[in-house]
Amino acid sequence: MKKPFKIVLWALLAILVLPLALAWLPPDSVTTNLPPQYQLSLFASFKQLSVTLLATLLVSSLVAIVLGYVSVLSTPLGRGLASVLKAIESVPSILIALFCYAPVSGYLARHASNVSELASLGVFIFAAALTVLPEAVRGLAIPLGDLYHRKYSLSFRSYGFTKAHILSVLMRTDTMLAAIRHSAAGILLKTLVLDCSFGFVIQLGFGSYGTPAHHSPGALIAANRDALFEGGNPLLFWLPSLLLAATSIAFLLVLNQKKDVRS
Amino acid sequence: MRFLRFLMREFVMHGVVFAVVGTLALTLLYLLSIGAPPSSYPEAGRSLWLMVTGAQDFQAANPGFSAGRIIASGAAITLPLALASLFILAVIAVCGASFATTARYLAARHGQRGVLAVSKLLGGLLGLLAAVPLFVGFWVLANGFGSEAPFPLIALAVVALGGLGWDALSFLMADMERQLNTTYSEVFSTLGAPLGQLFPLPGTMSGYLFSSSLPGFIPYLAGKVPAIIGAVTIAEIVFSFPGLGSTLLDALLASNTDLLVASVFILLCVNAVVAFIVKSILFLVYPRWYEKAV
Repeated sequence: MKKPFKIVLWALLAILVLPLALAWLPPDSVTTNLPPQYQLSLFASFKQLSVTLLATLLVSSLVAIVLGYVSVLSTPLGRGLASVLKAIESVPSILIALFCYAPVSGYLARHASNVSELASLGVFIFAAALTVLPEAVRGLAIPLGDLYHRKYSLSFRSYGFTKAHILSVLMRTDTMLAAIRHSAAGILLKTLVLDCSFGFVIQLGFGSYGTPAHHSPGALIAANRDALFEGGNPLLFWLPSLLLAATSIAFLLVLNQKKDVRS
Repeated sequence: MRFLRFLMREFVMHGVVFAVVGTLALTLLYLLSIGAPPSSYPEAGRSLWLMVTGAQDFQAANPGFSAGRIIASGAAITLPLALASLFILAVIAVCGASFATTARYLAARHGQRGVLAVSKLLGGLLGLLAAVPLFVGFWVLANGFGSEAPFPLIALAVVALGGLGWDALSFLMADMERQLNTTYSEVFSTLGAPLGQLFPLPGTMSGYLFSSSLPGFIPYLAGKVPAIIGAVTIAEIVFSFPGLGSTLLDALLASNTDLLVASVFILLCVNAVVAFIVKSILFLVYPRWYEKAV
């Protein structure tokens, strides 16, 4: 990829994910024609989304890197792990999220806002990590395995390096860094989709009573879904939708870069 | 023998055992996390058994939710929607990849860049649609059609929005383009066969490339079944269809463990049935590739 194009691409990416950064500004620092309560919710939901994305990215990436490394290091363990992850992958993500949320919904409703928010975030990260891990681990284990079986790895082995040492060296190669970047974009995109779909579904089912602990843009869109009806203000529905679409485009662009790496 | 092995693996292990063990595992997780009394565990198992056998006792214990109704909602709404979505996904990926690959071929060999530009534009459009949140598209559809929205349109939304179609197209396109650069494809291109720009018919250039990509594409489709079922579940909730998604949400609202377990079981069964259909196609068309894929 040519350098000017790369600069333009990164600038575009920064613009597209800007809503996640702007959400950290004080809500009253931006003057709009939006209803004040809605503006507060908009800022809160994107702030919460950025926390959720970052926390899930950190947890899932770390676990994926460890599992990807371990599954190449030990073939039997890798096979066992692949079977477990494949079984998890066979269950729809939204089902996993709903099932993780259902048991704690009572707890969330009973406890104070701060405790409840923390518990909700923890539950969601657990559910999201479960759903994104299979693809993330596969995305790292396959290229790492390929690299290990290439000729220069064989020459490493002839020098007497241990498998663990060779793998740790290979993990720092450009190919693996690109794989980690690609995997991170996949984690972010999947988490974004799951978080918002989950927020939308929970809001649709439980109403405002059910989602005090999970401010998701999906829940905000669901709460303002009637804005599309006659007499409503469609901006309340479309604004968070467009911001979400922009963020998704940023992640899709990073995912699409994989093709350039391959070619 | 090979057929028996296939049935044992896909029908028994990935079908029956997956649905039963998956439901039991999720139930166990649920009961443990809500701190249910020990008596709830066998009761949940009994309820599942009553539901599976279609016993009247299940209806008595869960008024308004007969075993037949839950199974019928899965068979009448979730399964057809999932199958329609899978079909549309396959069509979009196959036609899109044929068009993109032949466009690249025309640009590289004959300098016809116009078709490539059109192909890139269409790919970009699909990418933009992929960025639209699925539930936003569903709600816009629901706003226009209410709960009368036609199934094919919902299935199209399942595929086009949320990234399923984009991902499938990218996967197949990358594979077919890789085939395009191989020596045997170059040799084939000298035979003067038609390009097959819109659909990879046998005897065409795209058909030739697709025949090499198909064995890898079918397992990919099988892997996307859970995502399709998840999207269909959301569609059922948004459109208020009396399907499994709505039953699941009703069960969550009422904290009804029996219903939750029953709807999850049927949902996993539908998941297993659709995946079984896809893998059967792979087994029937490419038995050796099936063996290789597993």
